[in-house]
Amino acid sequence: MINPFIYFLLFLKASLFSTGGFSNLPSLHQDLIANGWAKETDFGQSIAIGQISPGPNGLWVISLGYLSYGYLGAALALVAITIPALLVLIISAGYTRIEHRSWVQGAMYGVSLAVVGLLLTVVWTILHQPGVDWKGLLIAVGAFGLALSRKVNILIILGLAGLTGYLLYR
Amino acid sequence: MRLQDPRPGKWQLFRIWASIGLQSFGGGATTTLLIQRAFIEKHRWLSIEEFTQLWNLCILTPGINLVALTVLIGRKLGGAWGIVISLAGLLLPSATITCLITVGFASVQHLPVVQAILRGVVPATGGIMLLVGFNFALPLIRRGYKKGVLYLLASSVLIIACALAVILLKLSVIIVVLSAAFLGALFFSTKADSPLLEEVQGEQQ
Repeated sequence: MINPFIYFLLFLKASLFSTGGFSNLPSLHQDLIANGWAKETDFGQSIAIGQISPGPNGLWVISLGYLSYGYLGAALALVAITIPALLVLIISAGYTRIEHRSWVQGAMYGVSLAVVGLLLTVVWTILHQPGVDWKGLLIAVGAFGLALSRKVNILIILGLAGLTGYLLYR
Repeated sequence: MRLQDPRPGKWQLFRIWASIGLQSFGGGATTTLLIQRAFIEKHRWLSIEEFTQLWNLCILTPGINLVALTVLIGRKLGGAWGIVISLAGLLLPSATITCLITVGFASVQHLPVVQAILRGVVPATGGIMLLVGFNFALPLIRRGYKKGVLYLLASSVLIIACALAVILLKLSVIIVVLSAAFLGALFFSTKADSPLLEEVQGEQQ
C-alpha cells in the first residue's frame, strides 16, 4: 500500500535536492523501487513521455506519478515539483542586496558561462541516446538550422522530425 | 534604455504562459526558446540581459529551473498574482496533457511506428537545445569581445571545462556551477564594470 504523505515527501525531497528537470531521477528511483511503489519500466516510460509531451522537461515526473499511483500520484508529483521553485524568491531577495559588488558580478558571469557549458552537456546527452545514429545527427543539425532561421514554428520542426523518423526508421 | 511594452493583464499573462506550456513539445529547450520569444522579442517586457540574470538565479534554485523562471517573470510582470497565474498557466494545461499522453502512450509505446517517430523527435530536441545554448552564449561572447582576446579565450575555456567536467568527470551540476561562480569571482571581477554603483555603495558604508 502506498502512503500518500510519504510518497509526496519522496517526490519533494528528490526535487529539493536537484537542479534541472532530470536530476531528481536517481533519488526517486532509489526510494520508489526500495518501497516497491514503482516498477523499473515506469521510469523508462515516463522519461520517453517527458520528451514528447508539452511543458518543461521536469514534467516527466507527472508521468511517473500517474504510472505508479494514478491520477493522485500525478497531482502529488505536480505539487512536489512546484514548491522548490518558490525558493527562488528567497534567493533573489538575498541577491539584490549584494548584486552590485564587483565579485558578485564576476561570480554571476562565471555562472552564466557554466550554464552554456551545461546546456552543451544536455545536447550531448540527448544526442548520445541509444537510437541516435548519423541520420539522427543530421536531423539535429536540420532542427538547429530551422530554429535558427526563426521562420518555422518549433512545433512544426518537431513534427517534421517525427515524420523524418517515421520515414527513416519504420 | 529601450522602450518597454505596458504590463500585461491577468488573462493575457495566463494565455501567454498556457500557450508556451502547450506549444513546448520536446521539453525544456523549446520552453526556454518560447519564453525568450514571448517576453523579450514579441513583447518587450524583458531584455536578454535581464533574462540571463533571472536565469542565473534559477540555476542556483533547486528543482526545475524553468518553473523558478516562471515564478520570477510572473512576479516581475504581476506581483504575487503574477506568480500564481504564470505557474497555473505554464503547468496546469501541460501537466494535464502529459498525464493524458501517459495514459495513451502506455498502450502504444511498443509499436514500431511510435519508436520510429521518437528516433526522429529526440535528436531534433538536441538541435533545439543547441540553439538555446547559442542564445545564452551570444551576450557573453559580445561582452568578452569588448574586453579583449584574453577575456574571450578564458570565457570559452570555462564553458568547455564546465561541459567536460559533467560529461567526462561526472561531477554533480551543483559543484560545477559553484566552481564556475568561484572562478568568475576570482578572474572576471572588474571594478570598471559599474564605477557609479561602487561609489554609491562606498558612501553607504
